[in-house]
Amino acid sequence: MADQRKIKYTTVSIPISLYERIRKLIEGTGFTSVSQFVVYVLREVISEMEEEKIRSDSISEEEKKAIIERLKRLGYI
Amino acid sequence: MVRKLFVLGLDSMPPKVLYEGMDNNSFSYIKTLVEESARYLMRSCYPPITVPAWMVMFTGKTPGELGIYGFRHRKPGDFNYYIVNSKYIKQETLWSIASKKGLKVGVYGVPPTYPPKPLNGFMVTDFTTPNREKPYTFPPWLKRELERTVGPTIFDITYRSENKDKVASDLFHMLENHQRQVLYLATQKQWEVFLYVEIAVDRAHHAFWKYFDKEHPRYTEHPHYSNVIPRLYRKIDQWFEELHKKLPKDAVIVIVSDHGIKAMKGAFAINQWLIDNDYLKLKVNKDQLKPGTELKENLIDWEHTIAWAWGGYYSRVFINLKGREKKGVVELKYYEDTINQLRKDIEKIRGENGEKWKNEVYRPSELYPEVRGDPPDLMVYLDDLWWRAAGTIGWSSNYLPENDRGPDDAVHDWIGVFSIYDPEGTISSGDKGMIDITHIKDTLSEIVFS
Repeated sequence: MADQRKIKYTTVSIPISLYERIRKLIEGTGFTSVSQFVVYVLREVISEMEEEKIRSDSISEEEKKAIIERLKRLGYI
Repeated sequence: MVRKLFVLGLDSMPPKVLYEGMDNNSFSYIKTLVEESARYLMRSCYPPITVPAWMVMFTGKTPGELGIYGFRHRKPGDFNYYIVNSKYIKQETLWSIASKKGLKVGVYGVPPTYPPKPLNGFMVTDFTTPNREKPYTFPPWLKRELERTVGPTIFDITYRSENKDKVASDLFHMLENHQRQVLYLATQKQWEVFLYVEIAVDRAHHAFWKYFDKEHPRYTEHPHYSNVIPRLYRKIDQWFEELHKKLPKDAVIVIVSDHGIKAMKGAFAINQWLIDNDYLKLKVNKDQLKPGTELKENLIDWEHTIAWAWGGYYSRVFINLKGREKKGVVELKYYEDTINQLRKDIEKIRGENGEKWKNEVYRPSELYPEVRGDPPDLMVYLDDLWWRAAGTIGWSSNYLPENDRGPDDAVHDWIGVFSIYDPEGTISSGDKGMIDITHIKDTLSEIVFS
């Protein structure tokens, strides 16, 4: 059971200079490691991007019509 | 240490305004810079239209090499059209090259940059953005930051309206929105290169040119509307002075447009002309159609049609070529003769009173070193652009005093502006003659990368 609950990890490479900047940046902030900070930031960014993606995936037919109407009104087509 | 380069793109700014005093000193601050700048007349591309012109400028590639001949294009054999966006731009841009070289770049409002692409810096897309719900910035979270800080982005206005008071109000609202955003980005973010295109200039020109240009054939002095364009110029001037004073003293300032602007004399119903000259045949009597009827696929008698056209600032003409079009009738062996005859006939089109027009008709291969994408068979410029082409039909005359898409005072012109202000004087000031729009990217690259 214990094995099934175990979270799997993988490795992501970042430049050493960036690693060092983060390490210094998080001193005294409560983050206990660079990895913890990176995971936190990525989760924040990804949740926002996923929301955006749901709203933006492909342009609907209605939106296409709206774009064409707009370009007509602007005299481009 | 790289010197900062700020590019202020004023869509459709003509030399007579920026260089020759037609602004009535509205650009009082900007002109002090322009007077000390290297000043070029900027020869725009074929066609001199916002899309593709800005991308021609920032890639250094012709419309043929880009495969972008306007907003809309059609696949061979398909009567309907598709609209291009940034995904269709396959060539390197000034900002993509700068990004690869490790420079921070800011891009704001350059058409067409929607949907945004990654770069080393930040991007806010342009007026082709479908709506504010879409991700219109890079990085994506910049959108929320901008909206929180300076309010929701306004991408465009509807300027073809008789309600000119609303047009003017919307115009200034949009300009202020852009200016607040650009000021925020330019002062709060890191960048070495910042490219900002302001579309409000073009919209003001189209909506209010006849109230501004005393040589306009329909010039009208108006207590309010005649002040809209000068007021807009002043707002840009005052804002830019504020921004410029916050930039490093050695920053290079470029002011550039994608094309010029001039009075619209009218719109020429190109498809009606094709009907009159037996190139296009309808299934119905054209005299029974309502004015402004769209030329739809099912209206055309394809078995007896040789060519049809699109309207716009220029006209694109398509041959009903057998083997390419669904119901093509022109045999491939007659294609060249058909093109040549049609071209001669279009070149001979005259004005309503028989006055000679300077019409230009080109095959794309004559204009560009490479022809990619979905080009038309012929590209037509009527009377040196003084007349637009109307694609609609049902009109009582081929010569329309107004545009078929709603009120419009202006058409595009071939010549725009390009000025470089170098406070360190490494670029000498003065009039430098003509520069082709395709050479601007290299000129800017020299400033940034040398």
